[in-house]
Amino acid sequence: MSFISIQDVCFSYDEDSAAPKAVDGVSLDINAGEFVTIIGHNGCGKSTLAKHLNAMLLPDSGMVVVDGDDTADENKTFDIRAKVGLVLQNPDNQLVAGIVEEDVAFGPENLGVAPDEIRRRVDKALKAVDMYEYREHAPYKLSGGQKQRVAIAGILAIQPQCIVLDEPTAMLDPSGREEVISTLLKLNRENAITVVLITHYMDEAVLADRVVVMDGGKVLTQGTPEEVFSQVELLKKHRLDVPQSAELAYRLRGCGLKIQDIPLTQDDCVALLEEALR
Amino acid sequence: MVRDVSFGQYFPTKSVLHRLDPRGKILMFIAYIVIIFCTFNYVSLGITAAFTLAFLVLSKISPKFYFKSLKVILIIVILTSLLNLFYGSGEPLWQWWIFRITLNGIHRAVFVTVRIICLILASSCLTFTTSPTELTDAIERLMKPLKVVHFPVHEVAMMMSLALRFVPTLLEETDKIMQAQKARGADMESGNLIKRVKALVPILIPLFVSAFRRAYDVATAMECRCYRGGAGRTRMKQIHLSARDFIAFALTALMIGGVIVCNILLTATI
Amino acid sequence: MSCVLELKNLGFVYGKDTPFEKKAVDNVSLQIEAGEFIGVIGHTGSGKSTLMQMLNGLMRPTAGQVLLDGRDIWENPKKIREVRFRVGMVFQYPEYQLFEETVAKDIAFGPQNQGKQGEELNKAVQSAAAFTGLKPELLGKSPFDLSGGEKRRAAIAGVIAMNPEVLVLDEPTAGLDPMGREVLLSQIVRYHKERHNTILLVSHTMEDIARVADRIMVMNKGKLEMFAPTKEVFSRGAELERFGLKVPQITKIMQQLRQKGFSVPEGVLTVDEAFEALLPLLKKEGRLW
Repeated sequence: MSFISIQDVCFSYDEDSAAPKAVDGVSLDINAGEFVTIIGHNGCGKSTLAKHLNAMLLPDSGMVVVDGDDTADENKTFDIRAKVGLVLQNPDNQLVAGIVEEDVAFGPENLGVAPDEIRRRVDKALKAVDMYEYREHAPYKLSGGQKQRVAIAGILAIQPQCIVLDEPTAMLDPSGREEVISTLLKLNRENAITVVLITHYMDEAVLADRVVVMDGGKVLTQGTPEEVFSQVELLKKHRLDVPQSAELAYRLRGCGLKIQDIPLTQDDCVALLEEALR
Repeated sequence: MVRDVSFGQYFPTKSVLHRLDPRGKILMFIAYIVIIFCTFNYVSLGITAAFTLAFLVLSKISPKFYFKSLKVILIIVILTSLLNLFYGSGEPLWQWWIFRITLNGIHRAVFVTVRIICLILASSCLTFTTSPTELTDAIERLMKPLKVVHFPVHEVAMMMSLALRFVPTLLEETDKIMQAQKARGADMESGNLIKRVKALVPILIPLFVSAFRRAYDVATAMECRCYRGGAGRTRMKQIHLSARDFIAFALTALMIGGVIVCNILLTATI
Repeated sequence: MSCVLELKNLGFVYGKDTPFEKKAVDNVSLQIEAGEFIGVIGHTGSGKSTLMQMLNGLMRPTAGQVLLDGRDIWENPKKIREVRFRVGMVFQYPEYQLFEETVAKDIAFGPQNQGKQGEELNKAVQSAAAFTGLKPELLGKSPFDLSGGEKRRAAIAGVIAMNPEVLVLDEPTAGLDPMGREVLLSQIVRYHKERHNTILLVSHTMEDIARVADRIMVMNKGKLEMFAPTKEVFSRGAELERFGLKVPQITKIMQQLRQKGFSVPEGVLTVDEAFEALLPLLKKEGRLW
């Protein structure tokens, strides 16, 4: 049984039924403990889909089931949001309190958790994202990567089983991106938290267990990073990036070089070329 | 630069003042505002000024930040003190055209200056030593009785706390927008009043647009974190009255008493 | 070629004479030729933003000089606005600067401040919009009704419309999706080719810099660490990494092959170059059929 099951979901922001749908018949399963990335252009429906995972949006047709509960069930809304946390793109706009630790406490406070327990959760969450020393700082003085990690801690304090992140690194510099991604990998591996990461960066996408490519509100293709990025032609046709190593290998294969697995990392690519040139 | 403003910031220096109950701090602050406008002679003014200074020292925050918050209102202080200086009653000591300075005017100028400065310092001291959340928390609790008349206490407190949180963010944004428009040749330094007001349009409109966009984002983020109004909410930081608070109350009472006694015993200067 | 921009011992110190004194830019000297495409890279906080803001007089250096066509831009501080028209500056996320009722009016803000009117103004707006690929029918719309990518173009057009001799772009592609990045970057390149003006592109995306820049400035802790042709800079990958910077993946792959003794060229910057370099080698090995 998958943790989140998306079943033939359609959603449109427009009342007009002729207008193109933001999400158009998507079916997808997210398993517990998985690290899934969703890639695609702006406007491909990935952010809209993300908001369906924690009942921020409800499907026009089809359904989303989170841990056995239908998101359309109003009595379950807050249970679902406590199970699936959503982190947004702009870290500035997610921090609601003037002090880091008070911000992290916001979620459990809303859930009516006892004060001592909140304290414990806040400390734990801040340690998990490596921001414990900054607990008494004002958020606006932190770097982008630090702010985004605080935002993640704010979600962790709710103790969700799954975190969905909508382009959390889009506004960050390379070191901020690295901080956020390594935090996510750690949470996924050590704390067994399911991660759904929406991103534009292919170097982030290749780290996942599974990559889902969306276009025009539909799922274009999905599979392991190796499976997805070896379809260089399809990705190029939809003007999506592929890692440079994959592109090089793909073009060499086009000229007749025998390549079994398209290399996604620098080391794999070097090994492959070394072999071919020897 | 705009972002140099320190008013409304919080500094976690962990002084005695930080550990006081924020409810108590707010009540003392209100009492302080009332009493500072009831100082009618130099002794009582001196008492309140000394009391203010004592608190600044206790806050363990660098005087630099207090000076910074004073700098912001410097013009207001100068203007009001000049106004008071020239519009005193009694025998003129010096006169030129419509300007006349009287002894009463000088006294009034001194009083108004000291009062405003004390007021700014005290309010800075309050916000420097009390985190925005504590502050709004305290206001929420103090206003709780108003719930009986269906006053939206929690909502008001939440709005205040969000506003405080976003002050520095919006100041930074203002700065950015100003730089960007200047780079497009916007001229904000020259011209008459109307021209200068017009020059603000390219700054204010983007600022409002972005504030609304932010508000929308913040609302989404809050909902994602299970926010559903004040009902059933708990707090991580509990506030309790302790011995410390009663000592602070006693000191405030002493100051108030001192001012009242001085007002009764001594003749008013203004 | 003539030198359009020269920096002489340029420095900027925040909070001078306070305990919080911080050198943001430290003794930077360089010359930029007219028509060059310069890439600017550096870690966040390396001082590159401060440096860029001194180029058009938004910040006044605390030491040294900025010479535009041989003249100190602060020679007459009252005329600093004219410098801002000559050195155009596109900030990061420039869409926040949009404020007018229509896109056309917004683009016209800069040239209007320059004193352009009527037909001349109209032409400046039209051609700037065309350069950024804004469709003509969008010009009458409110800038707030545009998509994110279109807003970005409108904002960049607002600076291009002033027809600056030097154009500084701070992370123009930040936050865009791969297609948006690609398209915007090629428009910038086209603009550079047609107008022949000088461009400084600040970016964290090394792949982009590698594709477009003639020379690269590398900033670290307020100092100009390198200022050299693109190939040369990226062939010094180890040094770049010390400054917290990364070279493009393809450059690294080729570097490693070189280190392993294969005769591939140094400083390969794009997949195209790598492909061209590898093809004859693989043919020789008889690996292709």
